Order: sequence, then C-alpha cells, then structure tokens
Amino acid sequence: MNGNRPALEPIRSAYRLQYLTDEQLDQLQDATLHVLENVGVKFPSEKALRVLKQHGAQVDQDTQTVKIKRDMVFNAMKTVPRYFVMGARTPEYDLRLEDGVTYFTTDGCGVEVADLDTGQYRASRKSDVGMMARVADYLPSIGFYWPMVSAQDFGRTSPLHELDAGWNNMVKHFQSETIMGEREARYAVEMATVIAGSKEELRRRPPLSSLICTVSPLMQDQPGIEAAMIFAEAGIPVGFLSMPTLGTTAPATQAGALVMADAEIISAVVLMQLMFPGCPLFHSMMQAWADPRTGGYVSYPRDARGRYGVVEMAHHWGMPSLGACYGTDSAVTGTWQSAAEPALDTFLAGLTSPEIVTGMGLSRTYTRLFPEQIILDDDLYQRARAYLQRMDVNDETLALESISNVGPGGHFLGQKHTREHMRTSLVRGVTHQLDENNKYRDPHEVARERVKWIIENHKPDPLEAGQQAELTRILAAADKELG
Amino acid sequence: MSSITPLLQPIRPSRHFHVIDEGQINQLANGTLEILAETGVHCPSEKCLRIYADHGAQVDFAKQIVRIKPDLAAASLSTAPRYYTMGARSPAHDINLDGTGLFCATDGCGVETIDFETRIRRPSRKDDIARMARIADHLTSIGFYWPIVTASDHPSTSPLHELDASFNNTVKHVQSETVMGRDLARHAIEMARVIAKDRETMRKRPPLSLLVCCIAPLGQDREGMESALMFAEAGLPVGFMSMANVGSTGPATLAGTVVAGDAEIVSAMVLIQMAHPGAPVFHSFMPGIMHPRTGAYQATAWEGTLLYPIGVEMAHHWGVPTLAGIFATDGQVPGWQTAGDAASSLMLCALAGAETGSGLGLVESCKLLYPEELLLDSDIYHRIRTEAAGIDTSREALALDVIKEIGPRSHFLKHRHTRDHTRRRTLSDLTSQPNPSGGMRDPIEVAREKVDWILREHHPEPLEEIQQKELTRILEAADREIGGGK
Repeated sequence: MNGNRPALEPIRSAYRLQYLTDEQLDQLQDATLHVLENVGVKFPSEKALRVLKQHGAQVDQDTQTVKIKRDMVFNAMKTVPRYFVMGARTPEYDLRLEDGVTYFTTDGCGVEVADLDTGQYRASRKSDVGMMARVADYLPSIGFYWPMVSAQDFGRTSPLHELDAGWNNMVKHFQSETIMGEREARYAVEMATVIAGSKEELRRRPPLSSLICTVSPLMQDQPGIEAAMIFAEAGIPVGFLSMPTLGTTAPATQAGALVMADAEIISAVVLMQLMFPGCPLFHSMMQAWADPRTGGYVSYPRDARGRYGVVEMAHHWGMPSLGACYGTDSAVTGTWQSAAEPALDTFLAGLTSPEIVTGMGLSRTYTRLFPEQIILDDDLYQRARAYLQRMDVNDETLALESISNVGPGGHFLGQKHTREHMRTSLVRGVTHQLDENNKYRDPHEVARERVKWIIENHKPDPLEAGQQAELTRILAAADKELG
Repeated sequence: MSSITPLLQPIRPSRHFHVIDEGQINQLANGTLEILAETGVHCPSEKCLRIYADHGAQVDFAKQIVRIKPDLAAASLSTAPRYYTMGARSPAHDINLDGTGLFCATDGCGVETIDFETRIRRPSRKDDIARMARIADHLTSIGFYWPIVTASDHPSTSPLHELDASFNNTVKHVQSETVMGRDLARHAIEMARVIAKDRETMRKRPPLSLLVCCIAPLGQDREGMESALMFAEAGLPVGFMSMANVGSTGPATLAGTVVAGDAEIVSAMVLIQMAHPGAPVFHSFMPGIMHPRTGAYQATAWEGTLLYPIGVEMAHHWGVPTLAGIFATDGQVPGWQTAGDAASSLMLCALAGAETGSGLGLVESCKLLYPEELLLDSDIYHRIRTEAAGIDTSREALALDVIKEIGPRSHFLKHRHTRDHTRRRTLSDLTSQPNPSGGMRDPIEVAREKVDWILREHHPEPLEEIQQKELTRILEAADREIGGGK
C-alpha cells in the first residue's frame, strides 16, 4: 500500500488581496526599527550577545538587552533568502517555496488525545505522533508535518522521539516546534543527516526545519536561540515565531502587538544572518487576545484582523512567512464553534499567499487532538482551495450549445455535456454523503470513519533498515546523555 | 414602552477584489446576450409579451418566447439605477445603497420551525415571522427582513400576512419573496403605502421590495412578472433571482449555469426597464449544484460557493445592485456544517462588493428554522465584518510609547492604554462564555438563551394605531377577495 498517496494539493490562489496598504507596511516596519533601536530586545545568551556586539549592536551586559540601529538591521537582512527548498524523504514531496503557492501543515504540540476507540481523554504519546504522521502523509492538503502532539512518554528527549515517529511514518517534510537547546539540536541535526543521506544533501534538501518561539514582550528564549544557531549552521531552515497576547504580553491594539512581535522576530533574524549569512529563515506571528475577564488566551475573538496582515509584513522584509490558521478554541471537535472559527482561515491566508501555513487538526486552542478533526479541517481547506481557483470560462464550459439544445423549460439531465461534467464534479467532502435512506450523514461521523480508514490502510514507504537502525542508535545516545 | 432598535452595522470592506477578471466577465455576458438573442426566454404573460414586442423584442406569441438583441438589452438596461434607497419605517434604518457597504437580510420562505417552546418540529406560521422579525430588529447584522418562514396558517393570503407580521414587529426594510400575482401585489403595495404614509414617500423611501424567482431554464413566472410590473410602477424595488441547479436545470459547468441563469435575470430586468424606465431593480443569482446521486439542490458544494460572488460581478457588469446568496447551508441542524458553510459565501460576496445579501437563520437548504441559528449566523457575520474592515495603524494603535515604557520582560496589564483598548475589543458574545462549573459554555446553548432574552426584552416601536388598523382592514379585504384566512 505504498503507492496510494495522492499528490500534494497546495493552495494556488488566482487572487491576491493586500490587507495592509504599502503605507501601513512602511509605517509598521518603521515602528519595528524604532523599537529595535530605542527599546531593544533581551537575549539571555552570552554567545548571542557576543556576536551582536561584535557586529556593532549596543549591548547592555547587565540587562542582556540589545539595541540595533536600523542600518545594521538592513545590512543583516540583505542576505536573507526569499525562497528555499524544504526537502522531503521522497524528492517528489520536496516543497520548493515560490510565489503564489502555499503549503499547509498540521497543528502541533498538543498534550491530550481523545482516544479514537474509547473517546476517553489521555496524555499524548509517541505512538500518536506516528499515527497522525500516517494520516498527514495521506492527505493531499498537508504539505509538511508538525508533530501534532507531544511524545510525553519520553520526557526530556520527547522532541527527538517525535522526529523518529514522524520519519518512520511519512515521507513529507518535518517541521519541529519543540527542539530547544544546543545538545538536543545537535542530535536532531544528526537524525536529519541520516534521512538526507549526507551533510551536503541535508543542506540542499533539508528534510527538517525548526520553529523557535520568542518570549513576549521583547525577549528571546535561551535554549531556543541556541538551538537555532545549530540548525542554521547545518543549513536547516529556522523560523522565529512570536505569539503576543493583546492586553497582557502585548499592547491591547493590533498594530502595537504586530510591531512588538515583529521586533522580536527581526532581532533573531538579524542574529542568524550575522552568524550564517544566507541561512534559510522564515517569519511567523500568531496573535492571541487576553480574555478581559480571566486573562485566558483566546485564539479566535470576533476580531481576528491581525492574522493575515502579518504575512505581508514578512514579505515586506523579503522573507517567507509561516501563516497561522486553524486551532479552534472549541473544547471538542465537530461543533459549530470548531467550524465558525477557522472556516475562512485558508481562504484569507490564501489571498496573501504565505509560503507555508500551520496547522490543521487540534482543538481547545491547540492542545487537544481528536484524530478525526484533521478530516474536518481538511474539508474547510478544500472548499477554500476550490474557490481560490479561477473559474474556467471557455467554449466548453460556457455550454451555449447545450443551453440552446434544452431551450426554455426542460432540463439538462439528458445532455451529454451534463454526463461528462458531472463526473468530474463533487463529492469528495464530508458533507452531502448519503446514508442508506438517501439522507445526508452527519459530517463528523463521516470524518471519523475516514480517519480510521486512513490509519488502518495507509502504509507509507518505510525507512531503509540502515536508517531505522541509525535513528534508534542516536535516540539511545540522546536518552542516555539527556535523560 | 418600546425598545430602541440598534443602528445597522453593515459590512464595509476596506478593500474589494474581483473573483473573475474582466475578460471572463465579458465572455459570460456575451454568452448571456447570445442566448437572449438566439434561444430566447419563455414568458407566459400576455401583458409582458406585449411590452417586449412594443419595445422591439422579437416575440413568438404562440410559443411565448421572447428574443432580445444585444443592443436592445443594453439600451433597456441603461435606464436602471445603479444605486437607490431601500426605506425603513424609521429613517435611521434606511439603507442607502452606495457601493461601500453590504446589508444583509434573514433567509426566507422556510416551511417548518423548531418550536420556540416545545422544540418540536412543526409547520411554520405567522407568529414565527412576527417573533423572528423582533429578533431581526434587535440584531445589528440584519439590515432588512425577509419573512423568514411561510405563514402556512393563512394559506391563500400568506404573503400578505407575512408582511403584516413583519411591519408590526420591525422598523427595518422588508423584502418579500412571496407576493406573486396581481391581486396579492395590489394589496401588498397598499400595505407599503400605509407604512410609508403617502405615495411620494413610498417612492422615495420604499419600505418594501420584492424578489421574484425565474424558472430555470430560461423561463419567467407569469404571476411573478405581473407582480413585478406593479411594484415597479409604484416605485418599489424589484429583483429577479435565478436558482438554476448545475446539472439539472442548468448545464453541468459553472460557467454554463452562470450564463443560463443570468439570461433569465437580465430578460426580466429588461422588461421592467421597458415598462418603467428608471425603476429600481436588482440582480440575484443563487444557484445550487445537483447532487449526482439524488438530484437534490445543494447550496454549498466545494466549488459551488464561487458561483455566488460571480453573481455579484455579473450584477455589477449590468450596472445594477445585487442581492447575493450568503449563508445558505445544507446542514441539517445548527453545528459544524452550518458554520463551515456560512462564512465563505459571505466573505467572498462582501469582498466582491455586494450591496445586499440574504439569508441568515435557516438550515436544511433554506427550509427549516431553528430560532438560534439566526444568532449563530449573526456571530459569523460580525467576525467577517471586523475582518473585512482593515487594521488601524494610527500612532495610538501602534502604541510605541507604551512598548517603550514596558520594555522587555514585563506585561501590559496595568497600562492605561491596555485598559482603554481592552474595553473596545470585540469578543464574541456566544463563544468564550465561561461555564460556572469550569470550561466554556456551548455557544448554541448561549444562542438559545439570547433568543429568549430578545423575545422577552425587545419590543420595537409599534406601528401607529391607525396604521395597524389600516393593515388589518387590507388583510380582511384580501382574505375576503382572494379567500384564505384561517
């Protein structure tokens, strides 16, 4: 059953919409530069402080705060590549980032799983990462994989076990959001080298990329930034993600939050380019809102305007963007809320054309996995993909002859044109599926059935035995060293 | 003591975009013109056929087929106004169409209701229209009201009872989709005059408009067209809607169905302009896609959603406003599918520059009313309204001084800027509602409670007593004349 994986179906939008005007983009960028120059960002890493100082940044050793002048920012940003390749185990699933194409991934880092058979909630484990990698491998909407949940059964080395579970169960590109710390990163690079076959190939078609979170307001995470240095050195793409919460860790206005978060990201990008000019990096920002009553993290208020303008900010810096979609605040899947919140995400993101986007499949604000949710989210994705494609208008589709044949009154059922075109239309969605009485089935039930089918039937090509053994050896060494 | 009806909150996108390029629009429009000139449209009304013939259309009276040459179609449509006013009982709720905002209506013509109290499914009735009109009156998402279900307890004159229930329970503009035939139209226009108080005001700020369905493929409805002529004569806006079904009453391709449906709509608008040049008309394209196994009308197939904004583009090509298809769902109960279906057509049509759209509140392909669905749809409406509005990047919004003050590693909780702006945040009043026993409440349950609250608390300004009496008198006369009553 190796050959049953459909080809990728990325978003190729026929339309483009500019959320932020050119003037607003300049205004925001100018404000970011102002923050970098006058407020600064804290880098709790001696190594980072040393590099930044050497290149002319104003470093306060006591507070570990770095202020960077705008000329220095622009000079460093000159070497950031606009596009690069995110390799896969199988070359045909390599993602060659380019203008107008958007690849989606799964969501990641969930901590709880609703068991498919019992429905009971339990802590997530490594086998869940493997199970969902197989589902992600199968779905044409998924271009690359984030480990959807944490391998909590492997403590400190869980990020490396997530890699192992991923690569053993899919051929697509793997993006980790959990590998923090220099030693952990070195093991991950070693594992990625096994998948790529050599260091050169790793640099040419990296099968791994890494996403590192900043700490709002205006701070870097030491293990994160030091892991990023190891990845960037090896040629593995690194993204910096800021997750400002309006009203607590960020100003309560969208523009203010965008500026502050952008300053965090750009400061990290500057550091990477100073250390490894030309290394592949991407920009990512995911705003949330503090619930004014509880301080709780709300991913989807009614006003989610900041979600897609950030893609344009990345492009304005000349960088690829990791956009943010899905991740409903609904505690369970299949509910009104779990569709109302992300329904437009793919469409709105598609209009700004980010290169990569996360992520389908989690509920309860990115924390809980219902395996069938990825099928429901995929349905919303495919709807958007369909209406972002330009409509065919030509002699065949205009059907003037068919309309003339039928004329006023009558119907088109007997027309050859109808038979031919209805075959290519419909019905791959989870809606409009019929039961034995020709009534529409509950889409949630259809999704559950589909995900079970994929888990039982889709078996991606296994890693070569030598690669499997190598990964196991590296994991054993990591477990021994890191505990 | 009556309640205040909050001001309308239309969707005003900060930018528009085209879902189809100019070359494709021209291809589609040329297709429409070719069909109108060569194949023609069936019009089973002697009166309409004469108007067509008198104005230069080629009419086959025996077959009741009308063919319209491109020049004649263009010349006729040239008198149609691009924008106009849809009046309301209260001038503050008038809708002035001007291309900057999208005003939405409820859905309409449902045939069954989930009972407000018993929650049992039953045939719809006049009182449902009245209650839902009050809810619509309270919601800022609802710009105008379609009688959301049928007054099936008043069989022959139900369209007039629907108007009575609507005018008595909302100060907003009412649009009927059921007043068909000369007798009903005459009484409906009289009711509108009572609301407007005089004929001049009715023409200037018409409180009622009419939507007439065409019969796909390429057919007009006699009663609908004759109603439309009377409405247009009185200065009340009339729209024509095609509900061609891809694969059964329309060709199996999207472009083919656009052409076939557009030809129906354009032929009707041409007639109105021939008879009453300058009469306000609108274009409405709400097709479905045939389910390949059952033949059923599907409102929300993956690729089918694109048909709705393309309808908007076609209306604008002909120089008239549109009534866009939004919110239609084939979902059976309020839930994942109704939410997934709702959002995309609304956003696409808003960005394409639609002036009006319907309809919020029904499920099961526009047939079944769950009262709480209107609240759920309204929540999605406001999400889209804010997302379409653009971002503020003023000095105050950029908050540079605040960021400087807070600096790295701290929080913004106690800053005055945070307090001020947090108060202005738009959070959903359905989601994120804490449950006293932990977690969040089910938004559907919250929506049901809101329905009860609105019905208990919101009582829009009533009609003047004399207007109420006049409407009752008209209804009694219509019941006597047309038959009906209970």
